[in-house]
Amino acid sequence: MEEEEEEVRALLPGGPDKAGRGAPVTPPAPGALPALCDPSRLAHRLLVLLLMCFLGFGSYFCYDNPAALQTQVKRDMQVNTTKFMLLYAWYSWPNVVLCFFGGFLVDRVFGIRWGTIIFSCFVCVGQVVFALGGIFNAFWLMEFGRFVFGIGGESLAVAQNTYAVSWFKGKELNLVFGLQLSMARIGSTVNMNLMGWLYSKVEASLGSAGHTTLGVTLIIGGITCILSLVCALALAYLDQRAERILHKEQGKTGEVIKLTDVKDFSFPLWLIFIICVGYYVAVFPFIGLGKVFFTEKFGFSSQAASAINSIVYVISAPMSPIFGLLVDKTGKNIIWVLCAVVTALASHMMLAFTLWNPWIAMCLLGLSYSLLACALWPMVAFVVPEHQLGTAYGFMQSIQNLGLAVISIIAGMILDTWGYLFLEVFFIACVSFSLLSVLLLYLVNRAQGGNLNYSARQREEIKLSHAE
Amino acid sequence: MRIAVLLLSLLLTAAPFGLLGEETRQVSLKVISDWLDTSQNLLHIWAVGATSTLHYVWSSLGPPAVLLVATNTPNSTLSVNWSLLISSEPDGGLVVLPKESIQFSSAIVFTRLFEFDSTDTADAAAKPPGKSYPPYSLANFSWANITDSLDPATLSATFRGHPIHDPTGAFASGSLAFRVQAFSGSGRPAQPPRLLHTADTCQLEVDLVGASPRGNHSLFGLEVATLGHGPDCPSVQEQHSIDDEYAPAVFQLDQLLWGSLPSGFMQWRPVAFSQKQGGRESAMPCQASPLYPTLAYLLPQSPIVRAFFGSQNNFCAFNLTFGTSTGPGYWDKHYLSWSMLLGVGTPPVDALSSLVLGIMAVALGAPALVLLAGGVFLLLGHKRYSEYQPIN
Repeated sequence: MEEEEEEVRALLPGGPDKAGRGAPVTPPAPGALPALCDPSRLAHRLLVLLLMCFLGFGSYFCYDNPAALQTQVKRDMQVNTTKFMLLYAWYSWPNVVLCFFGGFLVDRVFGIRWGTIIFSCFVCVGQVVFALGGIFNAFWLMEFGRFVFGIGGESLAVAQNTYAVSWFKGKELNLVFGLQLSMARIGSTVNMNLMGWLYSKVEASLGSAGHTTLGVTLIIGGITCILSLVCALALAYLDQRAERILHKEQGKTGEVIKLTDVKDFSFPLWLIFIICVGYYVAVFPFIGLGKVFFTEKFGFSSQAASAINSIVYVISAPMSPIFGLLVDKTGKNIIWVLCAVVTALASHMMLAFTLWNPWIAMCLLGLSYSLLACALWPMVAFVVPEHQLGTAYGFMQSIQNLGLAVISIIAGMILDTWGYLFLEVFFIACVSFSLLSVLLLYLVNRAQGGNLNYSARQREEIKLSHAE
Repeated sequence: MRIAVLLLSLLLTAAPFGLLGEETRQVSLKVISDWLDTSQNLLHIWAVGATSTLHYVWSSLGPPAVLLVATNTPNSTLSVNWSLLISSEPDGGLVVLPKESIQFSSAIVFTRLFEFDSTDTADAAAKPPGKSYPPYSLANFSWANITDSLDPATLSATFRGHPIHDPTGAFASGSLAFRVQAFSGSGRPAQPPRLLHTADTCQLEVDLVGASPRGNHSLFGLEVATLGHGPDCPSVQEQHSIDDEYAPAVFQLDQLLWGSLPSGFMQWRPVAFSQKQGGRESAMPCQASPLYPTLAYLLPQSPIVRAFFGSQNNFCAFNLTFGTSTGPGYWDKHYLSWSMLLGVGTPPVDALSSLVLGIMAVALGAPALVLLAGGVFLLLGHKRYSEYQPIN
């Protein structure tokens, strides 16, 4: 999932600093340019920030298009849930491999500017092909579109972060990461709540529902991708200009991936991978299938179902920074991860076995999701030496994408055959697997005297003792 | 989890001890024919338990109808007077003996098949769901002889019919079928909606197959009439459940109850299917209107109802509508299938399947075990570790 890519960087203390090495800050020639056009001034950086935020908007908006239009896609394309979920699986497949190469492509092959433009093009083309699949009533074309979209989407997130580091390192970097994250959530939320309405408008103007209506709706949704592409072009220009004026280097991710490092991965790291996969496969495929669940089980209207299905993203927008601060101040990462996983388990149990208002369960899931992102991802840095960090994160995302692709398909099949209750039980089993790993991680960490569960003060002391 | 266990225990305690409820019954099917006219169909199903007998009399004399009679003796019998039954005054043509053993009796009549044009309705929940075509009166259908479809092995029989007058040829290659099945024990069919049946119930599957619709987006509906007990109509309960394992994405169970429990009931899931496989992609919502009192002469008359209950009766009717304008619909495959259960006693209640309970037990049990084992391990291990602490 592309969000995670950002969270890694946003929340990892050492993460962003690896990137954008040597961006010399030269004092500006005073009064040479108006503030907005002067790359060394705050006003100009804010303009760049705006472009950066919208750079990712298109891909976040379009990623969850299928979830927002679940009923319509299934009806117009005459596919069952299993095939519907392939749209998500096809997004994840390329990223099982690409997670390792995103940084490499940006650093060594394309450079940040061309890399961003190329990835944006992939996103645009992917979305257009996806929509054409609707217009021509060819589901395989839609799947292919999602595949192309997936190639661009995840790598674009890498490029976006690299830009952020290159422009804001040592200045407002954490704020920028936070804002980008919030923008991602806003993109997903707007999508969830807008696409159904858009579909009905297109339906009204075309006169009937059908695959053409679906295709046209998706094409209109694709405008956000064009917007992102325009941002990519503008950023490339401004970045080059800044290089000329400030003699600033092109941003680099600085990621070094060495697949042979995998054999050195420790047992706790593998447990962290399992926690990650077990947890996220119970969140994202659930959201992908959620809309119909809320209409069928809880009798929600289409709009209300969209709203509740996006609440996880809405909550994580403000809560991510707050939880990030909380985890930073307290340490004890495993305990926080434990809290997040138990909360997710409780939330899924509520959705499965009660008819309680699902807003309660979904808000809990939103809180849990935000907390887990803040507590889990930084833990990797504690168990892996710094030179293997890139590989470890790449591997974690790769496994996560693999898990998402496989579980998406399984989830669709379960839903078609055994219904939502069984699907929820399946998700509970996934989260429980994750919980099992957290407990094991805690025990292993205790037994080995590991540093994963240190409080913030302990970490500080260790840092000081190392410094001496 | 606790709720699941609660549900399960509730089911275990409630099911076997309900009034007239029996675990298994000796079920027999018999076609009772008129000596003079063999095309008149009367299907008698009687389910004999240790202390009770249930009689279901299905017939296509007039509109398709069923009598449901529960007696508190294993020895009750049905007696049919054909000459009276096919006369214009059929009162007393059907009798269950001994009369004083009857604990409960009621009837259901399927009176009309509706067809609506849903093309102009943007609002899927509109009632009626579009312009109505002239309904088919099921009293004016001609029904095939059920003897051919009688299957003693599966305890089933099918009434298959088409309109006697069919000027447009809509039913030239189509038919409306009422498939009746009885059960000697509890179980669940393989086809959705997979309603849980017991020995106290009888299943009806209504299939409309191959008939040409009169519009491109025709929705079909069924008018169901029943006897009102007293001045009020029976109530329809909509039960919401957490369990959709047997009918994916259907979280509701509808029940018509003739009186306070336990009495007779009609039970169905608000779902119909537009394909024979009955998968989720062919599931259509089935909307039931509230019951409204109606006058007997407004409905096509059923001779067997009159024969058993006499002419002084309150009738109540309600409509079932299958599908919405947005699809899936009958137009997909010219196929429509809907099922219901008819029975006496406490309606069957779904419990969580053992697979679900098993997975939950493992999913929650495994972390609990690890926590326990880990706790013990740490308590014991901690002492050993503490000896090494001073080195640091």
